[in-house]
Amino acid sequence: MGSDMGLIVKTMARATIPLIGIFGAYVVAHGHLTPGGGFQGGATIAGAGILFLIAFGLNEAKTRINKNLYSALEGVGGLVFLIAGMLGLGVAFFYNTLWHNGPIFNGEPGTLLSAGYLPIMNLAVGLKVYTGLVSAVFAMALFRRWRK
Amino acid sequence: MRRTVGALSLLFILGMLLLIAHPNYGLKFGLGGEDWQKYRYTDQYYIDHGIEEVGGTNIVTDIVFDYRGYDTLGEATVLFTSIAGAVALLRKWREENGE
Repeated sequence: MGSDMGLIVKTMARATIPLIGIFGAYVVAHGHLTPGGGFQGGATIAGAGILFLIAFGLNEAKTRINKNLYSALEGVGGLVFLIAGMLGLGVAFFYNTLWHNGPIFNGEPGTLLSAGYLPIMNLAVGLKVYTGLVSAVFAMALFRRWRK
Repeated sequence: MRRTVGALSLLFILGMLLLIAHPNYGLKFGLGGEDWQKYRYTDQYYIDHGIEEVGGTNIVTDIVFDYRGYDTLGEATVLFTSIAGAVALLRKWREENGE
């Protein structure tokens, strides 16, 4: 109590946060087909998280957002990105071996399960950007130094 | 007077930079010969070969994650380092008096 905003803002946030999240997930998942990608979609989903933090206040966000989990997921996203880059290490670093001769993600260009490691990297980078931005804003809100 | 000279010199420097950067009679780096433009401006290559070499129909994602993968790796590292530094600087180090 005290740090949240009014009833109008909370109602609008309840209505728009799922839509923003769905749109961001669409941008991340179709990063190899349509404009956008991991960075842009992750920043969009992070916008939904920051809207939740601003509209509902820090005390409500503390019970819903586990910041240690978010910090861990950011590292996991970076590691998945690096491992996906190392998949074709027999030829070169960042060689797209899943697309040329891989078992999965080698469908027709234009379908969802195509383009080799690009969907994996988009998901990893989207997860990394989302959790990283939410962690940064949450840390700024949580560890403030100024007096009340 | 001094402001006029400064503005004129800035205009002159800008014009010289535009002249140097012009692809027809500007400064050329790298390989000599007639086909330097093929090696310098690679956008048409990416548009032509991106779908068959990388597979994504979004050419920008092809470039960012495959042709220029090292750049994206460094970008992700910069993001990770900046957020780690922000959290490390902003966190509460010790119990300050009055808290």
